[in-house]
Amino acid sequence: MLKLKLSKEQCNESCSSGMSPFNLFSSQRDPISSFSAGPVGDDLYHWQASIMGPPDSPYAGGVFFLSIHFPTDYPFKPPKISFTTKIYHPNINANGNICLDILKDQWSPALTLSKVLLSICSLLTDANPDDPLVPEIAHIYKTDRSKYEATAREWTKKFAV
Amino acid sequence: MEIDGNTLLFIIIVFYIFFSSPGGDGVSSTFEFNQMKILKETLDLEYQLFNNMTYDSNFKNITGLKLSYQDILDNPDQNATFPLPNKNYNSWNVGQSHMLLPDKVINYIQDEVWNISELENKNNVFPFNISSSLRGTTDLISNHKYEKIRMPIPNFYKTPSGFSVDQPELGDDYSAEWPGSSEVHNVTFQRGDINIKVTHINRVSNDLGSSKKYSFNSQDDKWKFLELQITFNDDAEKEKHSLTTFGVYDIQRGRILSLSDSAKFHSLFAFPHYMSLDQDENLRKESFEQSKKLITEYWDTSKYIDTLRIGDLSAAYHNAQEKCEYAIFLQIDPWNQYTKDQLKMIDDELNWPLGRPANLSDLPPISISSGLFFSPDCGVSLKLDNVRGPRYELQTKKVRYHLLCGVILIMCQIYLLLCQMKHTNTPSSVNKISFYSFRMINLVDGILAMVYFIASSIVAELYLPLVISAFCSFILASLFETRYLIAVYASQANEEGISIRTLFEGNTEGPERQRVIPEVPDEAAISGGIYGRFFFFLVTFSFLAISAPAWPRNVRLFVEYTGLFILNSYWVPQILRNAVKGIPARNIRRRNENARNRGQTKLPLLWKFVVGTTIIRVLPVIYIFTYPSNIFKHHKNVKFVVLLSLWLLFQVSILYSQDILGARWFLPQHTIPEGYSYFKSVTSQYLAEHGDESLVETNSVDCSICMSGIPLYVDDKPETHKVDQYSYMVTPCNHIFHTECLENWMSYKLQCPVCRTPLPPV
Repeated sequence: MLKLKLSKEQCNESCSSGMSPFNLFSSQRDPISSFSAGPVGDDLYHWQASIMGPPDSPYAGGVFFLSIHFPTDYPFKPPKISFTTKIYHPNINANGNICLDILKDQWSPALTLSKVLLSICSLLTDANPDDPLVPEIAHIYKTDRSKYEATAREWTKKFAV
Repeated sequence: MEIDGNTLLFIIIVFYIFFSSPGGDGVSSTFEFNQMKILKETLDLEYQLFNNMTYDSNFKNITGLKLSYQDILDNPDQNATFPLPNKNYNSWNVGQSHMLLPDKVINYIQDEVWNISELENKNNVFPFNISSSLRGTTDLISNHKYEKIRMPIPNFYKTPSGFSVDQPELGDDYSAEWPGSSEVHNVTFQRGDINIKVTHINRVSNDLGSSKKYSFNSQDDKWKFLELQITFNDDAEKEKHSLTTFGVYDIQRGRILSLSDSAKFHSLFAFPHYMSLDQDENLRKESFEQSKKLITEYWDTSKYIDTLRIGDLSAAYHNAQEKCEYAIFLQIDPWNQYTKDQLKMIDDELNWPLGRPANLSDLPPISISSGLFFSPDCGVSLKLDNVRGPRYELQTKKVRYHLLCGVILIMCQIYLLLCQMKHTNTPSSVNKISFYSFRMINLVDGILAMVYFIASSIVAELYLPLVISAFCSFILASLFETRYLIAVYASQANEEGISIRTLFEGNTEGPERQRVIPEVPDEAAISGGIYGRFFFFLVTFSFLAISAPAWPRNVRLFVEYTGLFILNSYWVPQILRNAVKGIPARNIRRRNENARNRGQTKLPLLWKFVVGTTIIRVLPVIYIFTYPSNIFKHHKNVKFVVLLSLWLLFQVSILYSQDILGARWFLPQHTIPEGYSYFKSVTSQYLAEHGDESLVETNSVDCSICMSGIPLYVDDKPETHKVDQYSYMVTPCNHIFHTECLENWMSYKLQCPVCRTPLPPV
């Protein structure tokens, strides 16, 4: 908490544009606004986000909620992001954990929350079955694509609409 | 579990190998069975002869004892057959007409070794337990003066001449020109070192299958049955002889008789006669009967014939072919300062330490006052000089203390390493550590762990302390040091493929700019590589260590000394690394303490770590090279230790001078190029290219870490010259960040946040 205050104070002194260190409302610069995010209550470290299922994917029409926890040393450590809505995807497990390299060792402090959410959107469109979190789904994804799409659509209808 | 054909086949093969191994005695063919049968019959016959032998009757048909020295003097080509014509088998006297030894040797033993004439001095007290490792020197008396007694090897010992042969040949083999054909057996040096390891045999097993042991000696307070492992060699170790023999120790008189045993010399039966060389007939009779009883008890309790293995047979044949037979006569120094009761207590205290009032630290060493080696079949005689060593238990205790000290040293090293790791906790500071310095330190610790580990399986008594030492050094090497090495390697991965020159400039720009930017490997790949090389070095070293004893002494010494010297040059790579990284002198660093880049210019190595590590690592070397009876039985060489310590001192003093004068003080001024500086002004052209259009007027760019603007110092705009150049950093890839933001990020990763190009450390 102390660190956050410190950085906020420093920011107030030095930031000419007056932006918060949680730099997510740069989304006005991003062309697609298929997602939104905001803090839960007063806790600036805990956010909630929602993603619209991309239209060219089996998740189309669904709205998926994510919970976001910022570590105290953000932006030098990646935020912890997980789905709270159930989703059928090779890189997302039953607990909602996401297997995405930029959320782990490929994190860069130049990444904004909107870029991260965009990456998650594109992960929904193009799954990465070669580095799966749920091998069973990845197997079906690779061998029987239509079955995978049918199940994903069914889950979306069941949990995300 | 599914079992497919291959698995089934594998299981069947394993079971086949498991159950098809030969039985307890190792016999695996009809030929071997017949060999064993003949050997057992021979031994049985000889044992019956031995049982009927009295102190005044001669050896009869016993292998190796059929001839006497006089027989060879009479006829040098005399075959060892029984019975010899005109030989009286019913009498026995001390002398060359009945013994294998020439009269001169017998007289020497009586007068010089066992001091038989001074037998009146009967109240000598000798230690009961003499298990110890004795070291001393040996002098050659003669290697050509005496006739060589022919000792043929029975033919049945030979390996079969063909696969279909079932029945071994009978008779004796005289064909080999023994021992004139080769000088391997002869002792050619005048003076050499001797090593005698004395072990007591108190209990024997009487079954091939079980390990249950029985004590056999009913005269335990007067006689002891021993095993002696003897090696003697010249100073240069060009010639080395080794033998393992049985021995009999006469506690009352402090005499040891040891006779080698092989296919051509069944020496167990000779002990009673050779033990009793006294002039007085009653004394002779007494010691004959007592030592005969000892041998008989050993034979019967161990069921000598029933527990023979095929391995014993081939070992006996091998020894008979390769080695001279020796009769060894030793005299132990008395411990007259103790009474028999005190000696008993000392032995008990050594066996089961309960704190009895035995002053163990004052215990004198086991010492051989005089000794003689005589080989009847090679005609060699040697005498011993100043052979002594501490009681085995005391030696073991001392080694245990030394090992404990070693463990404490390792603990100190772990502590220092942890301090050092804490000191360099950011990639920027780890980057200044030399990978190779720690690689060398790591290698030494790994080798140490290996040595301890091998030793623990050889020295059963020190198993626990050795395993603990091995464990500690292995933890140090494979856990702490390798962890640190991984961190160092990871922080330096972006230097791969860059020449020293460019590194020297602290710059990744230049002609090599076009090179493929190396993917910064993840930790798993790095640790895989580092562990792989670590174990590869260890395996290579163990091969070297195992083969080293077979090398000539000169080569071994050269390898050892150069190896030690190289392994103790571990600060040299760090000195070079400091020079490459260009750490400024101490006063300059002090001055910069308040500047913004504080903490980035601290010295990579803690002084505590440097000095501590040097001392911890040089102490064992000093111990090994100067302490006379060290664990590794290493010879003394003070000169080398002094040289090595001076060399280490020199390295540390160079490190210190780098701290005081700056890391590049010994390099000429013009060879020192400027390092990459993150703090520089920009041009308006750069601003036009990179800056956001809306920000050009404000002469600033956005920091992509904190998303706020950075006012820049633009060369051609005088109005910006108020901006502090140290408030922002320009990366080699031309991205601009707040100094605080980028330095913060560089403590996690040396990588540009925007384009992921590797960054040079500050």
